[in-house]
Amino acid sequence: MLEVLEALLFLAFDYAPALVFASLGAVLSERAGVVNVGVEGMMRAGAFAAAVGALVVPTPLGVVLGMLAGACLGAVHAYLCIRWRSEQVVSGMAINLVALAAGTFLLEALFAPTGTPPIAQLERWSLPLLKEVPIVRAASGHSALTYLALALPLAFHLALWRTAFGLRVRAAGEKPAAAETLGVSVSGVRYACVVGAGLLAGLGGATLSTSTLDRFEHHMPAGLGFMAVAAMVFGRWTPLGAFAASAFFSLGNALRIGVASSAPAVLQVVPQGFLLALPYALTLLVLGLQRRRGAAPAALGVPYDPETR
Amino acid sequence: MDGVSLEIAPGDRLALVGENGAGKSSLMNVLYGLYQPDRGTISADGRPVRLRSPKDAIALGIGMVHQHFMLVPSLTVAENVVLGREPTRRGLLDLDRACAEVEQTCRRFGFGLEVRTRIESLTVGSQQKVEIVKALHRGAKTLILDEPTAVLTPQESDELFKVARELSSAGHAVVLISHKLKEVLSFATRVAVMRRGKKVAEVPAEKTTPEELAALTVGSELSRETNGARGPKKPGAPVLELERATCRTADGRKALLEVTLSVREGEVVGIAGVDGNGQQELAELVTGLRPLEGGKLRLCAEEVRRLDPSLARRMGVAHVPEDRLLWAVVGPMSVEENISLGRQHLPPFSHGGLVDSRGRRQRACSLIRDFDIRPPDPQAALSRLSGGNQQKVVVSRELDCAPRLLVVVQPTRGLDVASVALVHRRLAKERERGCGVLLVSLDLDEVLALSDRIYVLYGGRVTGELERASFDERRIGRLMLGAEEATFA
Amino acid sequence: MRERLIRGALPSVLSVAAALLLCFAAIAVVAASAKVALDAYLAMVWGGLGDLPRFLDGAGVAVLARPWGEAATKAGLLALTGLSVAVAFKAGLFNIGAQGQMILGAIAAAFLGAQLELPALVHPLLCISGAAVAGGLYGLLPAALKLRRGVHEVISTIMLNWIAVSLVENWLVVGPLRARASGDLSISGTDEIAATAQLPRLLGETSRLHAGFLVAVAAAVLLHLWLSRTRLGFETRAVGLAPEAARASGIPVHGRIYQAMALSGALAGMAGALLVLGTEHKFPATIGAPYGFDGIAIALIGQNHPLGVLATALLFGALRAGGTRMQLFGVHKSFPELIQGLALLFVAGRMVWDHLLALSKRKRPAEEAPRA
Repeated sequence: MLEVLEALLFLAFDYAPALVFASLGAVLSERAGVVNVGVEGMMRAGAFAAAVGALVVPTPLGVVLGMLAGACLGAVHAYLCIRWRSEQVVSGMAINLVALAAGTFLLEALFAPTGTPPIAQLERWSLPLLKEVPIVRAASGHSALTYLALALPLAFHLALWRTAFGLRVRAAGEKPAAAETLGVSVSGVRYACVVGAGLLAGLGGATLSTSTLDRFEHHMPAGLGFMAVAAMVFGRWTPLGAFAASAFFSLGNALRIGVASSAPAVLQVVPQGFLLALPYALTLLVLGLQRRRGAAPAALGVPYDPETR
Repeated sequence: MDGVSLEIAPGDRLALVGENGAGKSSLMNVLYGLYQPDRGTISADGRPVRLRSPKDAIALGIGMVHQHFMLVPSLTVAENVVLGREPTRRGLLDLDRACAEVEQTCRRFGFGLEVRTRIESLTVGSQQKVEIVKALHRGAKTLILDEPTAVLTPQESDELFKVARELSSAGHAVVLISHKLKEVLSFATRVAVMRRGKKVAEVPAEKTTPEELAALTVGSELSRETNGARGPKKPGAPVLELERATCRTADGRKALLEVTLSVREGEVVGIAGVDGNGQQELAELVTGLRPLEGGKLRLCAEEVRRLDPSLARRMGVAHVPEDRLLWAVVGPMSVEENISLGRQHLPPFSHGGLVDSRGRRQRACSLIRDFDIRPPDPQAALSRLSGGNQQKVVVSRELDCAPRLLVVVQPTRGLDVASVALVHRRLAKERERGCGVLLVSLDLDEVLALSDRIYVLYGGRVTGELERASFDERRIGRLMLGAEEATFA
Repeated sequence: MRERLIRGALPSVLSVAAALLLCFAAIAVVAASAKVALDAYLAMVWGGLGDLPRFLDGAGVAVLARPWGEAATKAGLLALTGLSVAVAFKAGLFNIGAQGQMILGAIAAAFLGAQLELPALVHPLLCISGAAVAGGLYGLLPAALKLRRGVHEVISTIMLNWIAVSLVENWLVVGPLRARASGDLSISGTDEIAATAQLPRLLGETSRLHAGFLVAVAAAVLLHLWLSRTRLGFETRAVGLAPEAARASGIPVHGRIYQAMALSGALAGMAGALLVLGTEHKFPATIGAPYGFDGIAIALIGQNHPLGVLATALLFGALRAGGTRMQLFGVHKSFPELIQGLALLFVAGRMVWDHLLALSKRKRPAEEAPRA
């Protein structure tokens, strides 16, 4: 029993970081008032660039390349949404479609249709003390990204609620005109956040291809970007909430995989499809039950136009 | 705005008056770095400067209190004040120091504000104080107040002007933008008049009169009171009766408390009150946009339990709302489509579920002629029309229904003089025709000029009812503040 | 009228052109040869519009009919999902859930097609209706969540997509509705539908062009007439553009939104039916392609105008049919999807086009002024 639990936890620790990074990115962008449904596409770009990069340069550098690729798409999104006040959902979906198709095109043109050749996976850290203790030892033996994913939400929490920049981000998402009249550049803040969101989504994608797996596979990230959006909503647009939701979804996923491999009989009673649908159904349920006008920033999705305040 | 020059010295109390759209706010937005001037220069302390953004203006000691508050509702007073120049310690926001600093500013200028409260739980008057503190905290030497009393009670206004006077005697320059001539004359030492983007006069306050200023702002001796020639008329049967009617605002607060009032055929009933005392909700209640929670509502002597906009229209209620882009028109649609709105299911606009484009075109063209709507193109997108012409589309459409009850809210806000006159004339005509008119306006002069009877609303209650013969501005003012017990004529 | 049409369509046309150019450059760079890119593009064009050069060489009608069939089949799916997104847009909702609604329609069609015994003609009609009902009901969910609980439809439809995928592909198709194995062969997907349920082919056996294409064209035309000529269509547009003004005019706003979302879901469901009845003849193991997301692109490139959507769907249907031919030149068959994605990105930057067009317009009179 203990071993099963440990294996589940280990699986979750491996699966969660990508989701955590991407959902933190989504929180950052939407807190500043820019809707971000393009996470999926930014993750795909990150995953692809990181794997391709890692074929040539050391894998950690590949991860950085992945982040930059995500940031590039983030910059496109920011440019369209901020400079040109485009419909933010449209821009996000366009980025998803472009990343989906461009990934396939480049993969086919440069490698094989199913995936890149294997790369050197990120080094897994074995934590000397932890690995002796049952259960807890599930936390050992992961790449540095897993530990980063544990620390980053706290850093983001501090950044949003305890720094000057965080105050400006929240003001830009709640009432941009107020921030602007105090000399805060709303565009500047939003650019930083949306590009930052791309950076994080790219990191999430890179995690998939360099840490969770050892290559880019053609279907990556297979809907994880949308699940990151779900985690952001589920976590009420807060870093710690998004982290908790990501952790919860990852545990659920680990449970599903664990059940499928070790106790297939259970799947006769509870079909796999039900378990797969669960995170989304739960998010919908929570949204449906909460009070009207939930935790979303007031100016979310509203392009800021300084001339029509 | 065109070729305007203005000079402001320390300790000045300058007022900028003019009709809506005369360019007052644009001028000040240029001064605050929000708009860029096409030509001309701005100088501070004798040196020419360029104001690229509010940041530059703030650095020069210019502070602005906007007509619509620029506060983040979910943040605290202190956070709102320090936003943009936050004190930090080791990279982190130092909220304690922020609170201490803001508290100090408040004390120095005599504002009693609890700096850790969230804006959303403050009254409108307190929120405005936060706005002023924001400017002073940044070391503003010149304070621009953009229509600061539009949302205040007269007491709150008095307090505001007291503070502003103290600031000016301490060496601050205060610029007041307003179209309320009385407060302008009582506060300012100098008055600049704007008309159609030009400065038409600048006079010392003690050497002018409200009459002269009014004449200067409208450009001729055309008076605002356009229906002086109205004949006395005996009103007929009631078309609207409210009996102890109660309803709530969108966020669940009580908006109307046991309001009893009536509107009869052939009379104009004005609703006076400071903004936010239930007028908006009253108009929405009567037009079926807001549900009645208690009491009775009768239209043409028939009690209606569940009124919705469609039923209200069937029963002969027409509505010219305050926010026309929100409530009355569909901007991207054409003028003729907008004219059919509300009666789109009736001839001549449609037959048997199909749109009758020829019938619609004919009716639209005839209204466009009647009301001189420009451009006279039924297919033009409504959003391309000027504000005055958009309002004419709405008024023409609503009057074309031959209503029994006409509910008009702020019908002349933002209109040019000619359009104001047209709207007032049309309202008088409806009254002659025998329609009951419920007029809600924040402009007390308009209410006084047009109404046969006035109800005063304060805190969701009717605090007074006055017949035309007994209209008394001072008394209405007191009733608007709830400073006088409810009395009924 | 004509000028308005041109002004409305121009940004889309420019966007598609820009995407085509950019993608041309992409192949040229990757293959390091403009010749390859040109050949690949020609293959795409002839593969989508019919191989005119070979037909003129006397190769028979099949070289035209077969590509047409492929193009029309794909265009039909794109048109229906595009119309689904467009009609929701008209009512002011961003339906990202066409994918899920389509999956529900497809499984309903597969179920009805395999389980019922009905005469030809009636059978497919019933299957399409069933699919429309399934998709429509699923489309009502986000509308109800929005109107009753204030849940934004973009979020709820994202969730509902994955719920549909999980429940249909990972439960129904592998569980209760799994194809009965014949002998030792295990078959993926659901049972094959009855021959009576298959959509009839229009050009004989050489081409896969089936009646579903006509359904899509009819849907576009009817939707256009509904939106422009009927009172309900007018009211729906008013609700989408200014919901509060619509309410104040006595239009039942909630009713119109429910109606539009049901219609939107029904159209997506019909796309699912077309896929099952016309092409796959069963619900395959997985729907595979993100048709619902394609619908967003098609709707927006078509400016949410039903006829614009139809035109866009025809264009991209043809490009996609031709895309398979590009593989001969080492270009993945999903290449047209890249063109489509980029075109959507350029359409998303519509303000950029408006800006550029306004600039060029302003410049022209200025240049002509001295002459005048």
